[in-house]
Amino acid sequence: MRMETVAEVETKLRELAGVLLAEGKVDVVIGYERGTLPLRTTPCFIREAEAAGKLVWDATCEHNLARYLRSQRGRVAIVAKGCDARAITVLLSERQLARDQLFIIGVACQGVVDRRKVQAYLADRELQQATLAGAQVVFGGEGWQESLPLKELLWDGCLTCRQHTPLLYDALIGEPLAGDSEGALEEYADVAALEAMTADERWAHFSSELSRCLRCYACRQACPLCYCPECFVDQTQPAWCGKTDETTDLITFHIVRALHSAGRCADCGACSRACPVGIDLRSLNRKLIKDIKQWYGYEAGLDPDALAPLATFRPDDPQEFIE
Amino acid sequence: MMAGTDAGTARLISKNGITALLEALIGEWEVLAPVQLREELAFEPITHASQAVLDFSNTTRPSKNAIFPPCEVLFRYDGQEVHEPAFGRERVVFAMRPCDARSFLLLDNVFSGPPSQDPYYAWRREHTYLVGLACNHPSSTCFCSAVGGGPFDMRGLDVFLTDLGEAYLAEPVNARGAAFLERWAGADSGWYQEADPSAFQRKQELARQAERKLQIGAVLANPLVPSQTQERLESQYEHQLWEALGQKCLGCGACTYLCPTCHCFDILDEADDGSGRRLRLWDCCQFPLFTLHTSGHNPRPSGKERIRQRIMHKFRYFVANYGEIACVGCGRCVRSCPVNIDLRYVLSDLLSDQGQAEMTMNTGQCG
Amino acid sequence: MENTRLTGSPAGIAAVRSEKDVRNPYRPSPAVIRAITVENEARDIKTFQLAFGDEAARQAFQFRCGQFAELSLWGVGECPIGIASSPLEKDYVEFTVKRMGLVTSALHDCEVGDVIGVRGPYGNGFPMSALEGGRVVIVAGGFAFTTLRSLTRYILHPQNRDRFGELVVVYGARNPGELIYKQDLQEWSRRDDISLHVTVDGGDAGWTGLVGFVPDILKRVAPSSENAIAVVCGPPVMIRFCLPVLSDLGFTPERIYNSLEMRMKCGIGKCGRCNIGDKYVCRDGPVFSLAELQRLPKEY
Repeated sequence: MRMETVAEVETKLRELAGVLLAEGKVDVVIGYERGTLPLRTTPCFIREAEAAGKLVWDATCEHNLARYLRSQRGRVAIVAKGCDARAITVLLSERQLARDQLFIIGVACQGVVDRRKVQAYLADRELQQATLAGAQVVFGGEGWQESLPLKELLWDGCLTCRQHTPLLYDALIGEPLAGDSEGALEEYADVAALEAMTADERWAHFSSELSRCLRCYACRQACPLCYCPECFVDQTQPAWCGKTDETTDLITFHIVRALHSAGRCADCGACSRACPVGIDLRSLNRKLIKDIKQWYGYEAGLDPDALAPLATFRPDDPQEFIE
Repeated sequence: MMAGTDAGTARLISKNGITALLEALIGEWEVLAPVQLREELAFEPITHASQAVLDFSNTTRPSKNAIFPPCEVLFRYDGQEVHEPAFGRERVVFAMRPCDARSFLLLDNVFSGPPSQDPYYAWRREHTYLVGLACNHPSSTCFCSAVGGGPFDMRGLDVFLTDLGEAYLAEPVNARGAAFLERWAGADSGWYQEADPSAFQRKQELARQAERKLQIGAVLANPLVPSQTQERLESQYEHQLWEALGQKCLGCGACTYLCPTCHCFDILDEADDGSGRRLRLWDCCQFPLFTLHTSGHNPRPSGKERIRQRIMHKFRYFVANYGEIACVGCGRCVRSCPVNIDLRYVLSDLLSDQGQAEMTMNTGQCG
Repeated sequence: MENTRLTGSPAGIAAVRSEKDVRNPYRPSPAVIRAITVENEARDIKTFQLAFGDEAARQAFQFRCGQFAELSLWGVGECPIGIASSPLEKDYVEFTVKRMGLVTSALHDCEVGDVIGVRGPYGNGFPMSALEGGRVVIVAGGFAFTTLRSLTRYILHPQNRDRFGELVVVYGARNPGELIYKQDLQEWSRRDDISLHVTVDGGDAGWTGLVGFVPDILKRVAPSSENAIAVVCGPPVMIRFCLPVLSDLGFTPERIYNSLEMRMKCGIGKCGRCNIGDKYVCRDGPVFSLAELQRLPKEY
């Protein structure tokens, strides 16, 4: 059977969005539209059926749109990749969303582009145009044009993705895709490298990685699961965490945020991609994701009725790691 | 264009000469130059000339940080004994772009202006030499010329360098710059060479090319006139675009913390028993806490009001107070916004004559 | 462990440059708490009477009614508080503080003899030259009475009284226990050069005074707007209902003044957070006429 092209998926998406709006099934469709820069899309809120043609779908749809759900009123349709659907599932399990107000437009996704990989590949050349052409990305700048396989530019998490097809949806756009098991990256291999370091080496590694943090909170704001009305960093009585750019404060913010996300993080990568200075935030979360899997046999975002292990207590909870 | 500025003699410095000059500077002053810091290019103190990257488009963070740092100790106290920090040595920020340099002139209005002068900013401003590097190849996200600047704009700098290929043309912009060049690239230094008219011709040629490049595909085709921009924005306070932007904007501080002209700050104390410090930290008008009253009332309760404030402040309120637009067109906010809110298109929408019905893409409001 | 990127000071604390002491606007002047008065029954409003540590600081702190200062507690922070005493009270300066957040709570824990910091005076103050020669109508609700008490004391001072016309004060609180400046109120009620109307939203067994919301009492008192200026301070809901009353009485927006509250930090127009449009509340305010406010974005 012929694989649908991305363009065909996009067309179906536009049709569905148009129908949902025209028939009054939803008040707004949250999706992606073309951005102003190469390889960029931007979140889009469509309220009129005629505007559904603005929706796009391709490997540059990198945002996790679920972060917009909690503030919506009325019935909402949302374009969701597999990882986005995991985040929505966690939000549902935490009673943050009304399921009957939500129409999840699941899209089978083959991965999103990692713009940092593109930047690294380009070195100091400026990207002025880019087109996604099937399995290739064609780039161009002043007086040059090249192409690379899309696979080489995908977000690392996409290379080991097990939900190319979302687990939760009300309609699925695109033929279902099997989860990746080609072994491009052995699952959690990225964590093994961290685990092999001594505690001092890990401290040095994270101190260095986080030293460039601006405290802009793009990571927190991009995350669908960071929704506390008052973040711990803003509390003053007591002040849990300082706001300086010193190592202690930077590490405290990121480690505590990672701990608050442990067992809830859907590993979508939105935080890392949002970071304006390209800090590898995902690596902090990955270790916790692995630990939660190892000790509690739990993965976030698979079951809307399951509760995160750190939010629940069972008498038989493992405790060998507590000293 | 005259041979040299009125301030003093221009000279040519070879690429090796620049290296030697940097090494000499490093021995005496703190030298901040563009440095590759993992994923980003940033102005950092260098210990060797080889660390400096001089062939680049722009740093991720602006050089504003050198004079107005993200975190600064205002006072240290021990009981009731209070001390101000001592400042360090002379410093030079080497190879900043003209857009960054203009930002200091804009920030001077805030920090040096009445009712009081900010001594911390003033000290750094006084003791930091600014050596600029012309922009031979502006990027497609640059729009300096739309906001009163330009890729070869020398204002705000002490010394202006142009990369002519084989050598740098070094021009003193003011008396400080002339003194700088006399001291570090004087006639007796191994890297001095008087600049000839052909060097200036080459510079003019490069400037023309750069200006032309800025015009290609420019979103803001016409330069913004501050008074007209202010006036136009006065009638755009209730534009439907604010709601659309507020809906999409994440409310993070990426645009703010990379912006050369943002200056909002917080003052916070840290205590360790009876001693501690009072800090000045950058703050961001996009954060809800920024205007939150202790009573719980917030004059800017949602993203809509906050993003409106950002744009109104830079293109209308700042103009009302100081006569200039608080934007240097560096494009950092355009590149760094996680959701691709593009200031150029926002301004284009707001300032166009097409009225509210017509909105270009990228405002997030479809239909 | 300090990151050297943090400040420009590499080698510890060097000698302080004395010119900077005087010219550093962020540096608070030490002042000792001479007296503390608990103003209300809920005990969350206290007036602190401060005396400056040195004569130079005391002289430098010459203020006008309606101005404010940043009160500083090392290790806790600063908060902007309106000045509650009159500029003619030379030996001390008073601030009335409501316990609400981090700094105000720490202030409330202070005792007589403690030293705190004061930065200021800041702000534009009330338009004294406009007020002189005419009737002054003061309308205050709750805790916002503080700088208006400064203004009232100033006007009533023998040196000043005959430069002003009739003085009408309408002041209200939720209940009798919440009325502040009870001593001032008692003294003023015995004077014939001030028309004082004190009201409470709800009385109690011992209360024999007026009962009613401030806007209603204001309507009843109906001060003449002829050659008059009204100064209104209070919670937003009170102000909202007072404005139509004043308008009906003939007060134009140019002759109604407000003192605004805003989240502030630097107090000197640099940190950027207290702006309303192109005006900074700390520098161009906190006192604004209604006419000025109507020209500004509704963000306060």
